[in-house]
Amino acid sequence: MAIVLFIVLTLASILGTLIPQQRTPAEYQAHYGSLSQVIAGIDLDRLYQSGWFIGLLLLFGLNLVVCSLTRLTPKVRKTFGSAWTVEARELASLKTKESFTRRSGLEAFVAAARAELGRRRFRVAEKSDSGRALLRARKHTLGLFGSDIVHLGVLAILAGGIVSGLGKYRSDVSVSEGQTVPVPSRAISLRLDKFETEYYPAGAVKAWKSTVTVFEGGTPRLTRTIAVNHPLSYKGVVFYQSSYGWDWENPALELRVKKKSDPAFLKTISLTPGGKAAMDDGTEITAVRFLPDFVIGADNEPATRTWEPNNPAVLVEGYRKDARVFSGWIFAKYPEFTHFRDSGEMDLAFELASYKAPQFSVLQAASDPGVPVIWTGCVLLMLGLFFSFYWPPREIKLVLEGREGPCVSVSAGGLTSKGRDRFEEEFASIMAVLRRIS
Amino acid sequence: MNEPTFFLLAFLAYVLSALAYFGSQLFRKERWARAGYVLAGAGFAVHSLALAARTIKSGHAPFTNMYESISFLAWASALAYVLMEGKFKIRKTGPYIMLIVVALMAIASSPLMPKEATPLVPALQSYWLWLHVSVTLLGEAFFAVAFVASLLFLRADARGRKPKGEEGARAAERYDAMSYRAIAVGFPLFTLGGLVFGMIWAYKAWGAYWSWDPKEVWSLITWLVFALYLHTRIVLGWKGRRAALIAVLGFLAALFTYFGVNYLLTGLHSYA
Repeated sequence: MAIVLFIVLTLASILGTLIPQQRTPAEYQAHYGSLSQVIAGIDLDRLYQSGWFIGLLLLFGLNLVVCSLTRLTPKVRKTFGSAWTVEARELASLKTKESFTRRSGLEAFVAAARAELGRRRFRVAEKSDSGRALLRARKHTLGLFGSDIVHLGVLAILAGGIVSGLGKYRSDVSVSEGQTVPVPSRAISLRLDKFETEYYPAGAVKAWKSTVTVFEGGTPRLTRTIAVNHPLSYKGVVFYQSSYGWDWENPALELRVKKKSDPAFLKTISLTPGGKAAMDDGTEITAVRFLPDFVIGADNEPATRTWEPNNPAVLVEGYRKDARVFSGWIFAKYPEFTHFRDSGEMDLAFELASYKAPQFSVLQAASDPGVPVIWTGCVLLMLGLFFSFYWPPREIKLVLEGREGPCVSVSAGGLTSKGRDRFEEEFASIMAVLRRIS
Repeated sequence: MNEPTFFLLAFLAYVLSALAYFGSQLFRKERWARAGYVLAGAGFAVHSLALAARTIKSGHAPFTNMYESISFLAWASALAYVLMEGKFKIRKTGPYIMLIVVALMAIASSPLMPKEATPLVPALQSYWLWLHVSVTLLGEAFFAVAFVASLLFLRADARGRKPKGEEGARAAERYDAMSYRAIAVGFPLFTLGGLVFGMIWAYKAWGAYWSWDPKEVWSLITWLVFALYLHTRIVLGWKGRRAALIAVLGFLAALFTYFGVNYLLTGLHSYA
C-alpha cells in the first residue's frame, strides 16, 4: 500500500510539473485545445491544491500512522518488555559469537562482566536462578526506532502543511516613502521611512532596502530595515521585501523652456501632471500626462510598456486665452523626436529635464502558524535518519553457567543491524576482557 | 596560480585518472588502478584549490551560475568517490565515476558556459546559499556513485546468472552493498540540504517554505524515489536487480532536478 502510494504521488507530482500551473483558462485552451476541458475538470491547472492531490497526501499520512503503529507495538514490547530469555543454543546460531570457560565464581564473574559492559555504555539486564545467569546488554536502542522517528517527522510536516493551509495569512502592502499604511486584518500599520536600491559598480542591483517603522495603536514600536533575505518579524507577522516601483501617477517634472527667437532665454518650470504654469507672454503650459516607458500601443494610442523609466515622456499643451495653441509629446531621452501639433509658428522649445516619482515598496506581510510544526518535523526527520543509518542498535547476550571448580562456562552472542565490522571489533575486545576475569 | 590554472590541472588529473582506470581494466594491471585512485585524489585536491581561489576572488560561494555549480558537482562527485572507494576498494567503479567527473568538467569548460563571476543578485545573498547548495550537491554526488554501482551491479548480475558465473555473482553482491551505502550517505544529505535547508531558506527569502515550484517538486520526486528504494529494501527485502533499477531511476530524477528543471521548466529557481 505504502509503495503504491509512493508511486502514485510521484507520478502525480511529475504531472504537475509538466502542465503549467495556475494559468488562465484561455492559455490552457490555446495550448491543449479540447484537452483543456479535462484539465479544468480534474483541477490539473492547480494540481497541488486540488482536492484529490491533498486527499492523496492525507492517505499517505494515514498509511504512515497505521504502518508505524502496527510495527511499533511489537517492537516496543520486544525492546522494553520484561519477558525475555536466552538459550546457549540460540547464541550458537548467531554470526557473532564466542564460548569459553573461565576459572571464577559465578557471582564475581557476573559483576565483572557487568562492569565491563557498563564501561562501554551498554545497558545491562540480568536474570539469574540457581547456578545460572543470563545477561542482556544493549546500546544505541534509539537506532531501532529511527524509522519511526522519520515517520513522525514526515507526519509533522504533513500536519504543518494542513495547519499552514488553514491558518496562513498573506497580504501585499504597497507603501510610498513617508506614507503610513495599515496592514490588512492586523492591528498594526507600517510607515515607509526610506526605500533605496543599491547597485554594484558595474550597474547590477545589489540590494533593495526598505526602512520601515511599525505602528501599533498609533504609537511607533520599532524601526528596522527590511531587505531580501532579511525579513522583519513582529508579533508573528513577518514582512518580506517583495517588490518595488515608482508612483508614476504623481511625478515631479521639470521642463526646460527655450525660445527660438531669443537664444539667451532659458526658463525651468516645475510641474506635476494636471498642473499649469504661465509664461511671460501669456501662454499657459500644462503637463497633461506622463508615461515612464512611452510606446505606441496596438490601438495606436500612447501607453507605457513597463513601469520602469526606460523612455519617459510627457504630453505638454499650451493655451492662450483658453484656446489650445500647441500640443506634443516631449521625450527625455530623445529630444529630437519632439513634435508639436497645432503649433503654427511656434517660438517655444521644451526639454524634459527631470522626472522624479515617489518610490514605493511592496512588502509582503505573512503569518503562518504551520511553520513551527514544519521545523519540528524537519528536526525529527533528520534525527530519525541519523538514528536509522548511523546509530545501529547493538545487543550482546551472555549465558553464564556456574560449574564445579569453581568455574564459569560462558556462551556469548551479538546482534546488530548495521555496521557489523565495527561491532565485531567491539565484541571481540569485550570477550578479550571477559577471558581475563578471574 | 589562479583559478583557471587550478581548474585545468584538476581536469587533467581527472582525465589521467580515468585513463589509468580504463587501462587497468583493459590490461588487467592492478597498479594502474592504484595510480587512478591517487590521480583522482590529486585532482580533487587541486580542484579544491580552484574552488577556494574562486571563492576568495568573487567573494561569494562557488556555485552561483551553471559553470560554478557543475564544477562544484564534479568536485563533490570526486569527493564522494574517493571516500566510497577508500571504504569499499572496488576499483571497477573508478573508470565510470571518473568518466562522469570528466564529462562534468568538460561541460563546465565548454565555451557556452559564461565563466566570469558575476555579483550576487539580492535573492542569493544569504549564508543559506552555502548550506542549501553545497549539501544538496554533495548528496547528489553520492547518488551518482550509487548510480554507477547499480549499473555495474546489473552488468555483473547478468554475468552471474550464466553458468560458471560465481565471480559475477560475488562482484554483484559488493556493488549492491556499495550502492546501498552510497544512498545511506546521500539520502540524509539530500534530505537535509535539498529539502530541509531549502524550506528554511525559502521561508526566509520568499515567505513560504514550500511553493510547489518545479525544482521543489522534482526534489520531492527524487526524495520519494530514494525513499521507495529504502522501503522496498528494508520492508520487502528487495535487493539486487529491482533495487538497482530504483537507484538508477532516482539518480535520473536527481539529474533532472539539477539540469532539466533549469532548461525545460520555469519557476522560482531561475538563477543559474
